[in-house]
Amino acid sequence: MRKVAQKNMLWLKKELPVLEAEGLLTPASRHDIERYYAEKTESGLHWAIVVFAVFGSLLIGSGIILLFAHNWDELTRPTRAVLSFLPVIIGAILSILALVKNGGTALRESAGIFHSLAVGGSIALIGQTYHLPSNAPGFMLSWALLILPLQFLLSSTGAFLIYLALICGWSGAAQYEYAQAAGFWLLLLPALGKLWAMLKIKRNAPDTLVSFFGIMLTLLISTGIVFERTVPGLWIVAYSALLSCTALLGLRLYGDREGWSNPPKLVGLIGIGVLAYLFTWSDMWRDIGWHNVRNGWQYKPWGSSFDIAITLLFIGGWLTAAVKAFRRDSSETITLAAFPIIGIICFFTGALGGNETNTLTALFFNVFMFFYGIMYIVIGCRNTKLRQLNGGMAVLAVLLVTRFFDQDFGFLARGSVFILLGACFLIVNLITARRKKNMEDAS
Amino acid sequence: MKTVYLSALTLLIITQLAIPYRMIRSHERILSEGALFRFQTRPIDPADPFQGRYVRLRYKSSSIKCKAEEIEGLRRKDPVYALVIENDAGFAELTGWSRKKPTEGTYFKTRYRYVDTTWHKESSTRTTNGIRVDISFDRFYMDEAKAPRAETLAFESTRNSNCWANVRILNGNALIEDVFAEGKSLRELAAKKDE
Repeated sequence: MRKVAQKNMLWLKKELPVLEAEGLLTPASRHDIERYYAEKTESGLHWAIVVFAVFGSLLIGSGIILLFAHNWDELTRPTRAVLSFLPVIIGAILSILALVKNGGTALRESAGIFHSLAVGGSIALIGQTYHLPSNAPGFMLSWALLILPLQFLLSSTGAFLIYLALICGWSGAAQYEYAQAAGFWLLLLPALGKLWAMLKIKRNAPDTLVSFFGIMLTLLISTGIVFERTVPGLWIVAYSALLSCTALLGLRLYGDREGWSNPPKLVGLIGIGVLAYLFTWSDMWRDIGWHNVRNGWQYKPWGSSFDIAITLLFIGGWLTAAVKAFRRDSSETITLAAFPIIGIICFFTGALGGNETNTLTALFFNVFMFFYGIMYIVIGCRNTKLRQLNGGMAVLAVLLVTRFFDQDFGFLARGSVFILLGACFLIVNLITARRKKNMEDAS
Repeated sequence: MKTVYLSALTLLIITQLAIPYRMIRSHERILSEGALFRFQTRPIDPADPFQGRYVRLRYKSSSIKCKAEEIEGLRRKDPVYALVIENDAGFAELTGWSRKKPTEGTYFKTRYRYVDTTWHKESSTRTTNGIRVDISFDRFYMDEAKAPRAETLAFESTRNSNCWANVRILNGNALIEDVFAEGKSLRELAAKKDE
């Protein structure tokens, strides 16, 4: 059943008699429209109710953890041991209530968030009662595994995001404590499965979009953490493939939708911009490749094979996304798909040619970034989309301003370029805004 | 479908309650049946966002004597077992270590940190004394107001007399029972200052 906001329904109810009086609707069609909205739609929950419910449960859950953290000396050890069950029991009652009553978004999210936090609070209280040694990875892993099913049982995005935050935190703690966190990939699988199911059922729903953002951020942060870094510079290939795959996935799944309504594309485009900018510095290409493999207690003997396997997995994902989303007539698709190819070529150039090739590879990415910016300015102008236009301008501005300081030009030259760049921004924006207004007026 | 979901949720809740229960039971067993050792220590006071304020215990000796050949192949953070005995002064002393679980004596599971060496200036040589291990039972949780005060009191008391932690050890697991300064429990000392 479609969800329509209550205020829109009220507006429609007021409008229908007016349209009928004007002769635009027949009494029969007015009746049909009224019947359709009465039978086939339901009032959508206002987003503010969901947000307040989510924040409420977040605050209460965190408050309970802080109350326990005060460490009540007056309470005996057995009392504290019994008390440690209390948060889980309250969370469990809320979750059962949400399931039995077929709870709406607000109840399910509140229950999911509170229950997830309660489990962590309970384990932490036992740790405090028995003066257990600090074991951050063990604590986060137990917490994550114990709340894992909640995201599926309650369909709670909050529980899903808490799980993602925990496995992301676990990857950092485990990498520090055990010098490896390969288990992250196993922990990520259920979350990927959940997202897959959401994409199949409700691709454009807000909770699917938020979950997509969560997965992308976790993947981007944790890949850097769990990478063993035994082969210096391999991350360049891995991240290029991952971000290109992400952006192409966005084009494939959400087509021309932009911004927050296309999370993979947004993350992919920003990521490619940031990565391309980093690669414009020659220092990024220093001492890379298999001739500089790292050794030491913090590097595992299987580290290089593991990193290569992850990189190949990302390359596989990129190739699949490129084949599925490729369009010969779209310069955007071609550029996004070509990004890892440039990364791979530059990685091999740096690995084989040594540090003498650093300037060449950095120059290559300067050219790419310049083209990347120009491309989005052209696309933005052609489609009259200010977001793309300004994005392209921002990419270009960052590149030019940085290179500007980098090359140590004179004050006159610097001043002229700044004025020109600023004027370009204003004029192009003005022209596009006028074109957009004219188009809206014409339609 | 709802019944399946409810059954799965019930199973999950039972697991969520069973794990804390198991943790409590095993730790209560260590406290009631574990061998008691006194570890000489010096406390400092940090905080944990989830578990609150605690007194961190810095133990006087985490070194175990051994020959250089025995350390070969040992990588940092490798799990090891540390053997512990009570010395003539009545305090705990680490006497040996092994990669495998010892079959006799009192021991606790820990991690190898680094080689303990001495630099001889005259001969410009370095000799190996043994290994340093992590002593993981280093947190003593206290009331958020009392923990900093306890740290100061214990720090003052360690200038003249001993400060130690009573630790219970059972089957390779160690748990702090209480911390003492000037022969009195740290909680007692901090509470007295309150009055």
